[in-house]
Amino acid sequence: MNRKWMVTVWIGVLGLSVVMLGCPKKKPAPAPVDTETTTVAPADDIAQPTAPSTQADKTPDPLAGDIVEAMEYAYQQGLLGDVYFDFDKYDLKSESRERLAKNVDFMKAHPEFTFTIEGHCDERGTIDYNLALGDRRAAAARNYLTSLGARMDNIKTISFGEERPVCNVSAESCWWRNRRAHFVITGRS
Amino acid sequence: MKRSPIRHIPTALLLVTLTGAVAAVSQQPGAQEPPVPGGEDVTVVLEGRLRSQFRLAIPEFDGLTMLSPNLRRAADEIDQTLRTDLEASRVFRLQGPDDLSVLALTGDLTRDFELYRSLQNELVLQVDVRPEGDKVVIEGRLYHLESGDSILGKRYRGTPAVARRIAHTFADEIILALSGRQGVALSQIAFYSDRSGFKEIYLMDYDGANQRPVTAHKSISLTPDWSRAGDTIAYVSYFSGAPGIYLVDLASGRKQPVVTEGSLNISPSFSPDGRQIVFGRSLGSGNTEIFVANRDGTGLRQLTHSSGIDTNPSWSPSGREIAFTSSRAGNPNIYVMDAEGANLRRLTFEGDYNDGAAWSPDGTRIAYASRRSGRFDIALTDVVTLESRLLTSGGGSNETPSFSPDGRQIVFASKRRSSTTRTQVYKVELDGSGMRQLTNDGNNFSPSWSGFPK
Repeated sequence: MNRKWMVTVWIGVLGLSVVMLGCPKKKPAPAPVDTETTTVAPADDIAQPTAPSTQADKTPDPLAGDIVEAMEYAYQQGLLGDVYFDFDKYDLKSESRERLAKNVDFMKAHPEFTFTIEGHCDERGTIDYNLALGDRRAAAARNYLTSLGARMDNIKTISFGEERPVCNVSAESCWWRNRRAHFVITGRS
Repeated sequence: MKRSPIRHIPTALLLVTLTGAVAAVSQQPGAQEPPVPGGEDVTVVLEGRLRSQFRLAIPEFDGLTMLSPNLRRAADEIDQTLRTDLEASRVFRLQGPDDLSVLALTGDLTRDFELYRSLQNELVLQVDVRPEGDKVVIEGRLYHLESGDSILGKRYRGTPAVARRIAHTFADEIILALSGRQGVALSQIAFYSDRSGFKEIYLMDYDGANQRPVTAHKSISLTPDWSRAGDTIAYVSYFSGAPGIYLVDLASGRKQPVVTEGSLNISPSFSPDGRQIVFGRSLGSGNTEIFVANRDGTGLRQLTHSSGIDTNPSWSPSGREIAFTSSRAGNPNIYVMDAEGANLRRLTFEGDYNDGAAWSPDGTRIAYASRRSGRFDIALTDVVTLESRLLTSGGGSNETPSFSPDGRQIVFASKRRSSTTRTQVYKVELDGSGMRQLTNDGNNFSPSWSGFPK
């Protein structure tokens, strides 16, 4: 139950981070907003660390409290992020490897957390094959993390195939966001 | 409020009693054998192929005015359902009250038979209805017009709740008597739907009526598969975390795990004897292989060993072979092996993505989703000659086919209606005609057609 809720929160956060990207923080002369997110490399969209928040510095360690809040914080700070795949592919692109290298720093720095990597697919493949493909994507991310020295025993994988998309529009602007390995903090070890 | 998953079971039991009460009311000597009224005159040439069709008149039911409004509605439902079933069987070409209204019927059978014949009918179905407490009694007699012989007589009695069931039962009796073929009007289709906000397994009648949930896990439950006996459905659910294989006993509603340990157990398919389940299972490193287990989860063993994805198996009706999807040669394609995992051969060579093999009941061909120019269509391939053709074309993505128990129709999921991007369940004749949408509520996926009801 709790986890389901967490995933929902994460879908929201992910959506929010994309919205934030389209609406840059207040600047004197706002540049024309490029709403065509497809012109931006997907992985960078999510991975882009926001400027360290001075607010966060004043509050107690945001990673010490509630797991959902910790995960939210890690995402917002770019400490943890998703990686994206091409259609019917599970190999890691170079930007994915960069993203995973950042993730592994966070994971190593926080051995108190356990993680689940969710493998997801867009709607264009078949239901059954996508379940197996999602498993490959999650495993590809996990294998790379462990090759970078992450502990295997606190990273689980699960495939959702095309059953839990973050985005429901039948277009590539949406599909790329669904072809992902999504990182979730599932507990404290 | 959702109905309890086992709510339909008391109804089913009631129906057994009901059909048990069915009585032959008027069977004349020699009527046991399906009559063959003339040779050539019942054979019509349609689209270049020979096809037997009987021209059947069904005038308005007699006695409707004696019924209370409640029973009248039940009689009307029986009337409509019966006509739809008989027409859907393609064994008959019907004339109803509207077609027959030009006739000045007299009530004298012999004279009226001549009148029906004047409109080229060969058969007439006379149905009388009457009330009996809170039940309606339906008495039907089928006559061969030329000889005046009674071919079939049946009486059914039941509450309005079982009206459709009465109609389906009667329709299948008539179809069997005239064609020698078992009808499919009492068969069921399992599927999964997100209509409740979760993904649950549902059942519906073969015509899309009576849709009801079988699971209430409030999670993701998907890809149902029928046991041939029709008493159990195997499915995948995430309710305990990772996707695992479960069985639901339809009579009791009881759920039972088959294989749930590990990160991924998916796409179950029953062996024809119902004792084993074949499915896709991840080895944990992202490599899904085909495994088989007994229905209680014991005897787990691996059938495929390749570095590609091997998944979505389908046990052949003979029990000797298993079709499945593999990416061992690059793109996903359908392969077949024997039930021990040996004698592998590839079945699909067209399209760049083939998945979801479903066997025809006679085991001669498979239906599957085949991606051609970026979109999935339902394809049919003869497993011996490998001759292949497309059943659908030009409308949305079409996936997850399953054969009707008589092998004459296919049910599948599609986004073919342009007015909506939702996925719905459709059925279609094997010649591509008679396309019909069966679901409407939410998205509906992965239909599995039951065998003949026992």
